[in-house]
Amino acid sequence: MTKTEVIEVIKRIIEENLDDVSIDDIDPQKSMKDYGANSLDMIEVVSCSMRELNIKVPRAELAEIHNIDSLADKFMEYMGS
Amino acid sequence: MSDNILNFSLADFFFNDSPSVLNPPSDFEEWMGHPAVQRGFSFYEQELLEAPRVSTRIRSNLDGKERRIINLTSYNYLGLSTHPEVIQAAKDALDKYGLGSSGAPLLSGTLDIHVELAQKLAEFKKKEDCLLFSSGLGANVGTIQGLLRKGDYMVVDEKIHKSIIDGGTLSGAKMLFFDHNSMDSLQMMLEKTKGKRTLVAVEGVYSMDGDLPRLPEILDLCDEYGAGSYVDEAHSTLMFGANGRGVAEHFGVEDRVGISFGTLSKSFGGVGGFVCGSKPIIRYLKGYASPWNFSCAPSPAVSGGLLKALEIATRDSSLRDKLWKNVTYLKNGLNRLGLDMGESESQVIPIIIGADGAKLMRFAAAMQTRGLFLQPVDFPAVPAHARRFRISVSSQLTQAEMDETLNIIEDVIVKGKE
Repeated sequence: MTKTEVIEVIKRIIEENLDDVSIDDIDPQKSMKDYGANSLDMIEVVSCSMRELNIKVPRAELAEIHNIDSLADKFMEYMGS
Repeated sequence: MSDNILNFSLADFFFNDSPSVLNPPSDFEEWMGHPAVQRGFSFYEQELLEAPRVSTRIRSNLDGKERRIINLTSYNYLGLSTHPEVIQAAKDALDKYGLGSSGAPLLSGTLDIHVELAQKLAEFKKKEDCLLFSSGLGANVGTIQGLLRKGDYMVVDEKIHKSIIDGGTLSGAKMLFFDHNSMDSLQMMLEKTKGKRTLVAVEGVYSMDGDLPRLPEILDLCDEYGAGSYVDEAHSTLMFGANGRGVAEHFGVEDRVGISFGTLSKSFGGVGGFVCGSKPIIRYLKGYASPWNFSCAPSPAVSGGLLKALEIATRDSSLRDKLWKNVTYLKNGLNRLGLDMGESESQVIPIIIGADGAKLMRFAAAMQTRGLFLQPVDFPAVPAHARRFRISVSSQLTQAEMDETLNIIEDVIVKGKE
């Protein structure tokens, strides 16, 4: 799976979990917080994404990630490992 | 997972993909079974063999040995749980009423001793009425669940206690988290909830950091946006303010706080929780706060002890004065050692170690072996880059115990003698 496809998965799950957010409006350089996500929403989005991508990234490694693009990079590290 | 097992934490097993709801996630057992993870968990659920005083004994999970320790982990801030007058009052109530209340408060569980305690707590907090719960967590969950509905908003500091988040989740209200103690961030959130029914919830003392909320400014913003205010004074009641009424008294804003929450398990030395507010909202909550109306009323023996604890803590300031003297002494000592105590302004003092979880556990083991019971606080309870120890100072501490504490901390954390 390419990074672009991983970003598409994350964007779709953000749309499913947040109110008033359309997939076309989501900019990967922004944080989920910019789209109104609270910390519980973010846990839900990350967990659903990992489940769909069949990976498990420790939460402790996600603490310093501040936008969707970096989240996709971190997911890519675990893809196929 | 096997190559980076120590990077995982309880935060990674919340969602469960097991086909059966009665089984944990398949990799949870693998993780828990790893010797390094088991060593980390061995710090938890260690048995105290005596009362949770500053000087007590534990059966150490490190080596199975019984050990006398200086206990800086229990939140017996004023030592009231073992105060002779409190114990006598609890015994008297036990003799008069028996062990349990044998009913939910609404039907048959309300005893005169509960009414008296609730009245005294309301008078103490300068509010019209008070609702008494069997658990502090239940008081937060139940009150938030009772106040908010789907379509409402709760705006909370990002470091708020889990019980308030759980209450918000149960209520169906939308939750917005503002950056810790940032008034700009709070205002930004209140802009989003403008015109909607909104509750702003903060803590009196943040339990992992020991810092205080910027309460006057928070209440100004609540007034400006028409939001209700909720202050969790779990770690501040009986300690802050000239009369021990909490941080609202400390900041001189008691009359501006909508709902004042407190626990009865910390400085009070018993167990339970309470909320104080106007008569109409307390009356309303009785109908909708499930941990009140669907739970057995508090044990009368505990309530009897708590009445005495309130009397002792408010008849003069001697216990508070002793506590703050100890806080100053310990903080001065820790400062001299160059340790990172974050922004602590209270009797809750973190010693922030950093990102190295293995080091945190090694320090904890070494200190315990030396006779200091200081529990490690690991991710996800605190951020992964700021793992720490958390000192709960007590008025019971003697100077000799504080000196010994500082010696052990210096040897283990500063000099690295593990």
